[in-house]
Amino acid sequence: MERTHRLELFPERSVTLLLFQHVKNAAALRKKAMEGSIEGALINPAMIVDPFQILVAANRAVHLQKIGKMKTRTLYAEIIFSLSPSNNISDAFKKFGISDSDTAVLIVLVMDGDKNINLADITSQVEGQQVSLDELPQLTDTAKVKKMYKVTPQEEKIGSLLDSVVCRMSTKDVL
Amino acid sequence: ERGRARYSGGGRAVQPGGASALRNFPSRPPSAAEDGRRLPNTAEQAPRACAVCVAAMAAAQAEAGGARSVMAGAAAMGDAGPVGPATAELGAAGPAADGAECGAGDAVVAEEPPAPPALPGLRLVQQGAEAHVYRGLFLGRAAVAKLRVPKRYRHPALEERLSRRRMAQEARSLLRCRRAGIPAPVVYFVDYVTNSIYLEDIVDSITVQDHIYSVQKSGNDTSGLRKLAEKMGELLARMHDEDIVHGDLTTANLLLRPPLEKLDLVLIDFGLSFISGLPEDKGVDLYVLEKAFISTHPDTEVMFQALLKSYAATSKKSGPVIKKLDEVRLRGRKRSMIG
Repeated sequence: MERTHRLELFPERSVTLLLFQHVKNAAALRKKAMEGSIEGALINPAMIVDPFQILVAANRAVHLQKIGKMKTRTLYAEIIFSLSPSNNISDAFKKFGISDSDTAVLIVLVMDGDKNINLADITSQVEGQQVSLDELPQLTDTAKVKKMYKVTPQEEKIGSLLDSVVCRMSTKDVL
Repeated sequence: ERGRARYSGGGRAVQPGGASALRNFPSRPPSAAEDGRRLPNTAEQAPRACAVCVAAMAAAQAEAGGARSVMAGAAAMGDAGPVGPATAELGAAGPAADGAECGAGDAVVAEEPPAPPALPGLRLVQQGAEAHVYRGLFLGRAAVAKLRVPKRYRHPALEERLSRRRMAQEARSLLRCRRAGIPAPVVYFVDYVTNSIYLEDIVDSITVQDHIYSVQKSGNDTSGLRKLAEKMGELLARMHDEDIVHGDLTTANLLLRPPLEKLDLVLIDFGLSFISGLPEDKGVDLYVLEKAFISTHPDTEVMFQALLKSYAATSKKSGPVIKKLDEVRLRGRKRSMIG
């Protein structure tokens, strides 16, 4: 159901994605995330085109954490920030984090080798139905994504939306 | 090793890089024995593993014993006496000189390669002067990892700055290309610590270079090459119109996606690219390509003409660029100064 991927460049770390639909307690979850009582990044699936997008963001966040150059305060906040094409942290949270009225939630966990995060722990807190990551494309709001990442029409001809998104994410602070 | 011999020629070994004490040789007047000395020296030290050490030995001997004992040691090969102290000096100075010299020598002969990334299915594709290129799976996708080779002869601060700038230029140009709809690999990850970049791998592609080779070898399909040239001209025109100068245009840096008949081109290797609106820079870019074309592919002048024609037709700013190209052609080497 959920999907786990090992980060090749950081062998002890692996990223797990869980997708939930028909979520009723988004507001409560968001509050918990803000307080830090949930060990995970709560993301709005409408802004996600493909799990690869999350992996790229997680890879970047873990890298920055390792070299001590995170812009935010926690790894999970950094993942959400890495998803955003802008350098404004609160804007990133607003657009990519969940809002109180959301009915779908994507939870991202980063496991550190020995530290074992209990998945059941997380899933029990969500009042919703866990679904397979294959459902993600249906939840994506492509128009919103295109607008958010400012994807040009010429760009769409040479690659997928995912390509455009990932390229912007990884070159965000290259200047 | 060839390089080492060159440096140690004539007795005055010039040691590039490294503040090794070995650099300061006592000045020895060049003597007839010197040239002869080189050979016996090598033969004498043959048992020693590293040819680098040959120079080290000469240097060490010079330092430790002064000219006299060196020449004595070399000339009197069979002599127990002079060889004794010489070898003793060798023994003492040898390992120390060895280490230092080999270290400095290594810096010249081969930079320490960066450790390959732990990607599944990792294969070393190319060991360029600038970077080692690997292919592997990154986050589940076919990717190319370019790890910069640190140049130890540079001052570390400059090395860091230059490395970072090159990488930033590459990433920036790639993003700019994509935004403008110019096919180039997607950037997956930029590592500012090792100054390495992870890009999309264009699977099953072949370089235009290989394509031209195979077409020319098989003998047919010359019209196909013309169309390819036209497409290339078009692509470069669009790139230059975005003020992106590639910097290293060769047929090996242009890929063709399968199926080949579609002439789906992709530009790669933007490591030397920069942003510029100057016709001079664009003209030079085309000149570099022209040179690469003509030197790697015989009988392709017509093809390049077609490329330029298509370039001029597609680009809105082509006039000054072509003019500059003609000017640049008149410069450079092997130009007769007649007229």
